[in-house]
Amino acid sequence: MNTAAGRPVYLDYAASAPLEPRVAELMCACLRDPALQANPSAVHRPGRAAAAVVAQARARVAALIGAGPEAIVFTSGATESVNLAVLGTVRAAPAGRGHVVTARTEHRAGLEACRELERAGHPVTWLRPDAGGRISAAQVGAALRPDTALVSLMHANNELGVLTDLVAIGRACAERDVPLHVDAAQSAGRVPLDVRESGVALLSFCAHKLGGPKGIGALYLRRRPRPALRPLLFGGGQEGGLRPGTLATPLIAGFGLACEIAVGEIVKEEPRVRALRERLWAGLQPAAPVWRNGAAEPSVPGILNVCFPGIEGESLLFALDGQLAATSGSACSSASGEPSPVLTAIGRSELAAQASLRLSLGRHTTAAEVDAAAALLIAAVQRLRRAAPPGAIERIA
Amino acid sequence: MEYSEEVRRLFDTLPHCGELAAGAGPIVAGEAAELERGAWLRFEARLADGAIVDAAFRAWGCPHTLAAAALTAARLPGWRAGTPPPVDARSLAGELAVPADKLGRLLVLEDALQSLLRRASELQSAPPGG
Repeated sequence: MNTAAGRPVYLDYAASAPLEPRVAELMCACLRDPALQANPSAVHRPGRAAAAVVAQARARVAALIGAGPEAIVFTSGATESVNLAVLGTVRAAPAGRGHVVTARTEHRAGLEACRELERAGHPVTWLRPDAGGRISAAQVGAALRPDTALVSLMHANNELGVLTDLVAIGRACAERDVPLHVDAAQSAGRVPLDVRESGVALLSFCAHKLGGPKGIGALYLRRRPRPALRPLLFGGGQEGGLRPGTLATPLIAGFGLACEIAVGEIVKEEPRVRALRERLWAGLQPAAPVWRNGAAEPSVPGILNVCFPGIEGESLLFALDGQLAATSGSACSSASGEPSPVLTAIGRSELAAQASLRLSLGRHTTAAEVDAAAALLIAAVQRLRRAAPPGAIERIA
Repeated sequence: MEYSEEVRRLFDTLPHCGELAAGAGPIVAGEAAELERGAWLRFEARLADGAIVDAAFRAWGCPHTLAAAALTAARLPGWRAGTPPPVDARSLAGELAVPADKLGRLLVLEDALQSLLRRASELQSAPPGG
């Protein structure tokens, strides 16, 4: 029950969205054009031509989040952007101000950057979400201390899709003059996002989650008041000295166009994808018991995280292999994959986390694909449950 | 994760999966579960004339575990008390190319198998009508 083209149903947009054909065309043209092969930092004519492409893309990327182009620092992706924001801000903070507030449910980029700070002696407060996966402004406010240097949180959780109330948390941070960094890798281009309304000081996002190429991302850095930031890399003076290295013109051009497409389509796509997600959830009910992990709203439109009690996650993915592409509730896809810390943080047992699947939809997902995915999942779940010893549904939950 | 062709075939078809229907000959069962290791297996076998004549399994676990259970159930017919088990964790690991970090799951299978064979031996050594 694959797509008409014989490809598996792709429900892994949260991991990476397919490259937009228009973006691919632009990048190919950019790669082929001899006039655009120069270093965009060079002052000669070819260099200026490449710089113009970068400048146009920078404006497009900035527009996606309501920022000015001067506030955008290009990076290699969201992971680098998050590391630059977290490590760079705390390392630039005045002596005696090195405390960080973050959540247990962050993406590994944020988790590992904060653990690195902990290893260096910085105190970190790890907020625990509620059963829906939400972190509240009240929690953040209560965690702030006189020595807090940074609050770093995701906008949309990468596994659950649950949205954080940026405006309320931004207000709590602003009242204490603490910069707020937001990992918006899952929300940028999927829900309207305006940094001017949220009080965000730094914001990380990337191209490949919204139909752009892999290998390019950005850090938004508020201009006024501008948070202090120490670079992670040293070399040339590109990106204001914050991210040295020759700019990748074709990747940046592709990122820019992907952002422009997202801006143009978000009003239509957000409700369409949200409706498809709910159609998928309804379509899975014949596989009951099936649980929804995380709160249904507020959320980004395309992520549905479900638990099938009685199921072993690796076998479920294997049963779907070649027919449906999705991500398991394990932290990694290895055989000994640890259960997702996000799912255990919201109260799921380790076994329930391993019986969970993240299904993520996007711009090219169709109703027919959603229906096919539901049918595939129901068949696989029922087959594995029939194979399991009696009582598995009650014990594997 | 890499899976051998034999694992794929056994997982796709799951031969001998289910329960034995009541019929001629007594049925014995053996079960072992270590959920934290990722395996829960139950074997059933029908006895006749001092030997296992039919077998079935139910299993929760990874594809390697389910394939190993299917292979074990297929090898059980013909076993008699006093003879070695038809398979063990090491032989299954070799035959199905099971990764080393999954050996613990096959040891759970071995526990379920030994439980089954112990019960089968007890039944065969019990005095008639006893």
